[in-house]
Amino acid sequence: MSHTSIPLPERQRLRQKLIKKHNLANILTHWFNVASWLLLLPTGIAIISSPRLGITPIWWQEAFRNLFGSDANLIRFHYTIGFIWIFVILFNVFIGFRKYFVPFAAHRMLLDNDDIEWMKTKPLQMMGFIKDKPLPPQDAYNAGQKVYSYFVVICTLGIMVSGPVMVFKNLFPPIVKQIAQPIHFISVFVIVAWLFIHVYMGAVFPEEKEAFFSMFSGKVSAWYARAHHEKWYNEKLKEEMEWEDQVEAEVQKSQQLADEHGGPD
Amino acid sequence: MSTKNHYAFVIDVARCIDCRACLVACSVENKVPMNHTRIWVHDQGVQGEWPDLSHTFVPYNCMHCDNPPCTEVCVSGATYKDAVTGLVLVDQEACIGCGYCVEACPYGARYIDQRRGVVDKCTACVQRLEVGLQPACVATCVGKARMFGDLNDPTSEASVAIQNATSVTRLDYEKDGTDTDPNIFYLNLPTTGSILSSDTFNQVPNATLPRDSRYTIAEEGWKKVAIPVLAAAMGATFLVQAFFFTKQLVAGEKEFEE
Amino acid sequence: MLKTDISRRDFLKLGSAAVSALAVGQFIPPPVARAAYQTEALDSDGSGYINTMCEMCVWRCGVRAKVVEGKVVKLEGNPDHPHSHGRLCARGQSGLMNTYDPDRVLTPLIRVGKRGEGKFRQASWSEALDMVADKMLTISQNYGPEAMVFSSTHNLSQPLFENLLYGFGSPNYGTQRSLCFNAMVTAFTLTYGIEEPARNYDNVQYILLVGRNLTEAISTSETTELIDSVARGAKLVYLDPRYTKTASKSSEWIPIRPGTDLAFLLAMINVIVIEKIGNCEFIEEHTVGCDKLPDHIADYTPQWAEARTGVPAETINRIAHEFAEARPNALAHPGWRTSNFINSFQTERAIATLNAIVGNIFEPGGCLIAEDTEAASIPLGSPPQPAYPRISATRLDGVPWKYPLVPLKLGVFQELRDAVLTGKPYQAHGWFISRQNPVQSLPDQRKTLEAFNKMDFIVTMDILMNDTGWFSDVVLPEASYLERYDPLMPLGDHIFIRQPVIEPQGEAKSALWVYKELGTRLGLGDFFQYKDEEDYINQQLAPLGFSLSELRLHGSVQTPVAEKSDEIKFNTPSGKVEIYSQTLEKAGFAPMPTWEEPPQPKAGEFYLLTGKVGQHTQFGTQNNQLLHKYEDVPRLWMAPEAAKSLGLKDWDMVEVTSPAGSVKVALEVTSAIRSDCVYLTPGFGHVSMALRTAYGVGVSDSVLHVTYVDPISGGQALSQTFVSVKKA
Repeated sequence: MSHTSIPLPERQRLRQKLIKKHNLANILTHWFNVASWLLLLPTGIAIISSPRLGITPIWWQEAFRNLFGSDANLIRFHYTIGFIWIFVILFNVFIGFRKYFVPFAAHRMLLDNDDIEWMKTKPLQMMGFIKDKPLPPQDAYNAGQKVYSYFVVICTLGIMVSGPVMVFKNLFPPIVKQIAQPIHFISVFVIVAWLFIHVYMGAVFPEEKEAFFSMFSGKVSAWYARAHHEKWYNEKLKEEMEWEDQVEAEVQKSQQLADEHGGPD
Repeated sequence: MSTKNHYAFVIDVARCIDCRACLVACSVENKVPMNHTRIWVHDQGVQGEWPDLSHTFVPYNCMHCDNPPCTEVCVSGATYKDAVTGLVLVDQEACIGCGYCVEACPYGARYIDQRRGVVDKCTACVQRLEVGLQPACVATCVGKARMFGDLNDPTSEASVAIQNATSVTRLDYEKDGTDTDPNIFYLNLPTTGSILSSDTFNQVPNATLPRDSRYTIAEEGWKKVAIPVLAAAMGATFLVQAFFFTKQLVAGEKEFEE
Repeated sequence: MLKTDISRRDFLKLGSAAVSALAVGQFIPPPVARAAYQTEALDSDGSGYINTMCEMCVWRCGVRAKVVEGKVVKLEGNPDHPHSHGRLCARGQSGLMNTYDPDRVLTPLIRVGKRGEGKFRQASWSEALDMVADKMLTISQNYGPEAMVFSSTHNLSQPLFENLLYGFGSPNYGTQRSLCFNAMVTAFTLTYGIEEPARNYDNVQYILLVGRNLTEAISTSETTELIDSVARGAKLVYLDPRYTKTASKSSEWIPIRPGTDLAFLLAMINVIVIEKIGNCEFIEEHTVGCDKLPDHIADYTPQWAEARTGVPAETINRIAHEFAEARPNALAHPGWRTSNFINSFQTERAIATLNAIVGNIFEPGGCLIAEDTEAASIPLGSPPQPAYPRISATRLDGVPWKYPLVPLKLGVFQELRDAVLTGKPYQAHGWFISRQNPVQSLPDQRKTLEAFNKMDFIVTMDILMNDTGWFSDVVLPEASYLERYDPLMPLGDHIFIRQPVIEPQGEAKSALWVYKELGTRLGLGDFFQYKDEEDYINQQLAPLGFSLSELRLHGSVQTPVAEKSDEIKFNTPSGKVEIYSQTLEKAGFAPMPTWEEPPQPKAGEFYLLTGKVGQHTQFGTQNNQLLHKYEDVPRLWMAPEAAKSLGLKDWDMVEVTSPAGSVKVALEVTSAIRSDCVYLTPGFGHVSMALRTAYGVGVSDSVLHVTYVDPISGGQALSQTFVSVKKA
């Protein structure tokens, strides 16, 4: 969307004005997830010590085994953090599941035609092609983010199911545990593959700088919102105007009441 | 792998009378579940033509191989060859009981204790070794067929038995790059082929080994599908973002958008 | 495989929580006996070793029970005990499971249903013992004390059992011996003057085993010594119609026709005597009848034997030479009853003669220790007791009026059972059975059960509800060997103790306690003058000067025995080895080992052989889950040609029929048996449904066995039954 259609004072105003995008719960959950992954991923990789599979380098395995003292301690640490992570994430999701998560999923996570059009156009534009074609407007989360979220949900579920299967080992027959291993591994590394993009796009890519800081402050500038998430911006604008109208109506009403009772008392 | 002690079993097959005292002793000493056994005696069956018959009994347990295939496939590192004793052991707190190692062992020496969900096997009664006792099966063997000792010590019972023996055989398994180098040394094992070839034993009752070291389907899935695909996916995404990052660096930062 | 059919335990209440844990097949180390803490063998953690003795068979190996923090975790062989030398067989190793069997009887039980229905109710000891005493005294008043039969397989409490029996005034004493080794004991008593000569394998170079499947009928230390001997080069010649595990360890296996070992041995004697290759000097000096021997055995040539045994004459000749050449390091093993035919008595006499003529039966260095060992016994004390009342009634088992030469304490058990059935010479009305399972062990099970029907009252004392208990009116729970004290066992120059290792479960009590309680109620208190088990043992130790705590700490004490004189002397009437026995002659029997033609099966019939397996002891261990785990499925052995001619395949169900009865069992086609023989492992086919692991496994050969009694030794000829086999 071109900025030239908007006069400079307006542009400056929009850059100053902040809109709330993420609430506190979202922020905390996100960073809790990051912290958990920072503990779970390296320890998880260190656990995979099968010489025949040959995934983890020996020096990595040894470093962690020395750090924790034994295989069993390393595994216990991994699944303890894992269980805490499962509990907190599920708790956060299921608190207000019906009130918040379901409408959120229905409203913000489903793909529509704009999203599909965006998915065809954006990657080519990023590589430098078809710069002229206008990008369809996006909602609070763009199509790429929506698809990423699908993978996160499915893979997280995969991790959360396959992990405990391997911990509660006397409850499941061996074949289930054998299948749980690659499911766990695949779920983790599909997310890791996406993480390369998510981290880059969220934190490094220059256009998304504001998005990164919004994961701390919870707010984005109206300018950013209008540029990247136009549909959501318009919705917010409409809400603001409605709210303004409401305020205006109440001010007028109290003014009227004051007038009716004659001057100041 | 060279270890401080090189513990090995030496079994004189000529002395084994298939009394099975060793099997019961092991079951009690190691609280083996009633539907599993850590050690067993292979009954070769009556051989020969009447009246020139022969009948040999071959005791088995985990061979505590020098190059164990089981430690190659354990994903969590729970099974390992102990650096001090040279015994192949299972850390049952690290074991998740998936059973890759059970399939990989050419000797069928491992089983899954479903009650606890972990893999179990002969440990050469390491808890007895620690207090200076012989493994339970060796201590009670009525025919004195089972012997055990440190081959790094030339005066140990095992070393002496091997030195003085006229016929020493190991059931080595060599296939697909695996060479187990097992540590049960059989004395006076008949060489008439009925245990050494891997197809005969499938026809003889109670015969178990050596058999093909097997991959499970899940393990095949790991190796042939999951790892290559994920490596490709991660490689692709990494390269994509590396490309854009580089482009960004080259192009320089912009304070404001166009 | 483990059975966990809980519905069958409805009629027996077992109560112990730990016991029910065992029902799902997980062995849990039981808590150590409180009494064990007094021994000082356990440290402050409750860890240590308690030394006691096994009772999983009659060999009674020394056992060290390993206790860790108050729990008994393992049984090991006691290295200081001459019967184990630190090793235990499969049965010994399974001993904890024997004590912790979920089917243990833990309270006295009184029958409420019909005999054989298995319906019992729990009772207190006082109610049960009062009832038993009352019934026994009623029988005594109405029919005389002899109407009460007492039977027990010999064990360490036997002296107190005999006090009950003889104090009560009954002569009717049933032991298992006539089902086992009467042939050997009678023959060797008559020949050497001792019941069972000890074997010395130190220097043996040539061993002749006639039957006596030592690697499966395991006597721990002796089995080890046999294997050691073979490993260091001794030659083992083994006579057996089956290729047993002993055959597989032998240098030469002779697949001899059943019942004809006697011919083989007589021919060996023939060769040695005629060619004068025995120890002629010994024969002259120390035997009676050597002058008559050459004429007597003249006809028993190897050719004569070949016709009867199927063994080539030159083989017999060669073996005779090899045996004689190896003297005095040649051993013809006494065995128990060799081929189990009526002529087994003569076979044992031949073995005794064979050993004598090569002169290997005296010390030092001889393989068989046959001399008078009276001097070498340890003088244990015992509680005072009055003399037994005079017993005028004749014994129901025909000793000595029908069987003049059978020693009184052996008896003829199967004859006793038959006399109960016929009611002649008088009818017995009650039966007291202790540590024995006659329903399974006596031949012809149908007759045994009919005999039971004649009883007004049957009481059994055992640790499990075995088949005999199943048909009894009262079952008394004995404490297992790991839970109790027993009278001391002298062995060589040591005394060994059996002491409690596991805290007795439920209300199980030792035989010492039960016999005293019962005896007191029968008015026989004077025969049981001890306060409790420890008091009894203290009285045994009194003359020797050891304390009980010293004995308990080590499990044994050593005591000097009298020096043996250099004079070679045998405990026979003549003081010499009686190859020619006047005692036999006077009783109207052949005075020297003589050929008796054994019966043969008709065409299409088979010899039914019996034997042992290393994983079980006779009829008592089949319910032990650890042994059941590792047992072979008991099937009928048959040779391939015989099976083929009957149209039978491996694992076919077959019907085996004898004059006594019929069973259905799976077939095992094996080349390890003569084609005129079939074989069944005894001890299976239990009828007691309370034995939940054993019930339904295999069949009982006692259903098939016909009763044949050897008139000289009273031994039951277990292999003289012939059977027909067809597809079921």
